[in-house]
Amino acid sequence: MSSPIADLSYRHYDGELLPPVNRWWAIAKASIRLSIKKKGFWIWAAISSYWYLIMMATYYFIDNFFSGAAQRGVVQLGQKNPLLSTIIWKDQFLNGFSISQMLLFVIALLVGVGTISNDNRANALLVYLSKPCTKADYVIGKWFGIFLPLTAVTLAPMLFFYAYCAMSFKSYGFFSQDALLLPKLLLISMIPGAVHASLALGVSSLFNQGRLAGATYSGIYFMSLFFTKAMQVVHFKMAAGDHAASPLVDKLYYFSIDGIQIGLAKWILATRGSELFPHQSDLNGIPPTSLSVPQPSFAYIVPLALIACGIGVLVAWRRVRAVEVVGR
Amino acid sequence: MLPVGRWLSPRIRRNALTTERVVYCCVSVVARIENLVVRYGQFTALNGLTCEIPEGATGLLGPNGAGKTTLLKTLLGFVKPASGKAEILGLDAASGDRMIRQKVGLMPEQDCHIPGMSAVQFVAYAGELAGMPPEQGLRRAHEVLEYCGLGEARYRNVETYSTGMKQRIKLAQALVHGPKLLLLDEPTNGLDPAGREEMLELVRSVSHGKGVNVLVSSHVLPDIERVCDRVVVVMGGKLRAAGSIKDLKRIEGDSVDVELREASVPFAQAIQRIGGVISPPKFTTYRIQLPGKPDEVSRAILAAALETRAQVRGYKIAERSLEEAFLDAVS
Amino acid sequence: MSQLVSNDAPLLRLHNVSRWYGQVIGLNDVTCDIGPGLTALLGQNGAGKSTLMRLITGQIRPTTGDVKVAGQDPFANPEVYRRIGYCPEIDNFYEHYSGRKFVEFLARLDGMSPAKAKARTNECITMVGMADRADRKIQGYSKGMRQRIKLAQAMLHNPDIILLDEPLNGLDPVGRREFIDLLGVLAAEGKCIMVSSHILFEVEQMTRSILLLHRGRLLATGDLRVIRSLIDKHPHQIRIETDEPRRMAELLAPLPNVVSMRFDRSGDALQLEVRDPDTFYDALAGFSIDNRLFIKGFSSPDNNLESVFKYLVGN
Repeated sequence: MSSPIADLSYRHYDGELLPPVNRWWAIAKASIRLSIKKKGFWIWAAISSYWYLIMMATYYFIDNFFSGAAQRGVVQLGQKNPLLSTIIWKDQFLNGFSISQMLLFVIALLVGVGTISNDNRANALLVYLSKPCTKADYVIGKWFGIFLPLTAVTLAPMLFFYAYCAMSFKSYGFFSQDALLLPKLLLISMIPGAVHASLALGVSSLFNQGRLAGATYSGIYFMSLFFTKAMQVVHFKMAAGDHAASPLVDKLYYFSIDGIQIGLAKWILATRGSELFPHQSDLNGIPPTSLSVPQPSFAYIVPLALIACGIGVLVAWRRVRAVEVVGR
Repeated sequence: MLPVGRWLSPRIRRNALTTERVVYCCVSVVARIENLVVRYGQFTALNGLTCEIPEGATGLLGPNGAGKTTLLKTLLGFVKPASGKAEILGLDAASGDRMIRQKVGLMPEQDCHIPGMSAVQFVAYAGELAGMPPEQGLRRAHEVLEYCGLGEARYRNVETYSTGMKQRIKLAQALVHGPKLLLLDEPTNGLDPAGREEMLELVRSVSHGKGVNVLVSSHVLPDIERVCDRVVVVMGGKLRAAGSIKDLKRIEGDSVDVELREASVPFAQAIQRIGGVISPPKFTTYRIQLPGKPDEVSRAILAAALETRAQVRGYKIAERSLEEAFLDAVS
Repeated sequence: MSQLVSNDAPLLRLHNVSRWYGQVIGLNDVTCDIGPGLTALLGQNGAGKSTLMRLITGQIRPTTGDVKVAGQDPFANPEVYRRIGYCPEIDNFYEHYSGRKFVEFLARLDGMSPAKAKARTNECITMVGMADRADRKIQGYSKGMRQRIKLAQAMLHNPDIILLDEPLNGLDPVGRREFIDLLGVLAAEGKCIMVSSHILFEVEQMTRSILLLHRGRLLATGDLRVIRSLIDKHPHQIRIETDEPRRMAELLAPLPNVVSMRFDRSGDALQLEVRDPDTFYDALAGFSIDNRLFIKGFSSPDNNLESVFKYLVGN
């Protein structure tokens, strides 16, 4: 018999329970929610696409200049725009990708590096592990919490640029140059997410304060970047000086956080990169592609990337201590 | 059956389906631990611990380093025993199954929270971590926070909370997934007297009549007295004593504690004259042992007080405080 | 305000002391004298207990009023520091030192010669019961061990005044008993010991003289029982256990100091609220004997520190 006055004191939960496979998603969702709330995330995400916007504007003006020139009778109608004909499209994506590296790093700092550190400081692991949640759920969830936003930020401008080019430059070999461009782009967009997620997670788990973790990760990033740039300069000197660049230098060029990502992208796209308007460099007597570092071999870059990411995740795994849940 | 001697009083339990009377020597159990040995490397934390955690509210007492925290970790399913058996709510602890933590909730001693969330989000998240669908988690979080007495403050960031509120949230996140066994580690840590009162009230009401079994580990014995009916005392990795609090506090013999307004030597002498044994006063309270039936004893003592113009302010059957019982057990 | 204990000149004197931090008030016009013996400093969180301790230990200056410790202003005054020992609530140690080394270091800082420092360190460490564990690194210490080390360093220079902020935090009951006994010994030697704590039942075992702060103001000082008897607004609760509660009620109802009566649900006790308990208690014994009423027991459930605290501070 039910009483007119409800009993609002504590009652049990006998409702539905989701299976444990979904647990990592709850953790990832929480991380993502926290990241999206930050204004800085959106601002830097927008800025990271600046090169694509510049390229789009450039092509637009070239196209229009050409049409205008045709009307003025300088060039014959029906002829293709000489500049646009020489563009290697996948290299443009590569350029956009490599130029946005540093900005993606900033975003990784914002959303990725603080995750486990902040949890350490707030002793959050006690909460996680006193629930039916394993260390695997935790690490995988955190990893995806960094991976997914970064991938989204990388992919969105790429797709936007792809759509623009697909609509405007079909006749200039956009599709015929590489039929598999779109799947390759999808693959590339996952690289920064994976690399930063693994490394940032490792660094984050070493510290109790987000700031220290951020500083450390920045240190690693910039020191390796400096190394890469140094290798780039050496390569240029050797290439411009007319003898072939040493393969060791080429290998060492990819030995940095940026380098790994660019290397993987180059390998996936099967390109070594090129200038924006390749035929210009042709005019100066320098072959257009020799100034860029050649693409790394599969046997080099993929293990390198896997080892680097593996180390990051392993460090995080070891540092997240499961059994010290109760007591000092 | 437990090797705890006279402190465990036999209970008679009527089988609900028939009118048969069944006599048990133990109450129904939430966790059963047999000869559990747990080692951390060279260090043996639990050395053949055998005990049962009964239903209802139980206190876990023991000196520091006695193995209490290890016992709690075992009850959470975190520890692989070196030998022995531990069964919690029907699940074997050695399997390390996360199902154990589905049915057990922990309110830790240390401060813990998830950074960057409000109380509602935090408790809802805790529910999601326990497998509740997101909407259920949110709904239940509100319910539990209401029960824990957090009003409008639940929408504020957890990092801005005072100690008392943080304790309540810890309790809320332990309760959100509806555990059958609730482990509380120093629940009144850092609370001022009013906060302590409220927390104990919450714990007591959830454990009596709501079907949530509670195990409170604390050094503050009056808290345990207030909330729990039974205690388990662990020392040196072994079970030292277990039983109901009432039984532990009882003293053999029929002494009474008499509190006067001020210590009075004539009163003491009068008692001795009528054949009583009187102890030296503690502040102003005497312990008196007088032969005879309770009403005669009462009358005699009051008469002696009247005669010597001593004002009696308290009179009760002598019992040890839980603290004294505990100190006796571990010494 | 009245002196608390004994006839000796009070060691701690506060006169119209106020201290605020920006807009937030720490202490508001507090005047009190504290003499030798054990005094409990009580109050809710934020009542001003830490501010009071910091003023006495000379870490901060009062915004108005003056603080005198053994007749002198304690702020930045090494003379006064020699006579004070302080056990703060927080744990700040050099974690890589062993307990013994840390205490010895502080002894040397106090100006003792190496030999004297060593001797005194051993004495203090033995007194707090850490003699067997003092050589381990502090980093591995439990909370209870840290508390003991804190007390040891506070006692090194044999101060007249010892201040302890939540000293029993983290100690198990055995440790608590030892600590309380030790404080009792020190108090009996004539030192002025001030203990700030939230755990009222422990405080009750240590002493009956209290200093209660509420939102920065001094609410009560003195003996606990005296304070209780003065709280007019809350008549004394008395619980009488007897087999014939209604007959007892009949007999007691005519008494003018009985304010209210309640029968316990279990049917074997009578709860009364009484004004002016003295005359009531005097009468109760006689009543029971004259009317052959057997009293199984009676007590005053709110005659303890917790109730006093609740009544004074309110909710």
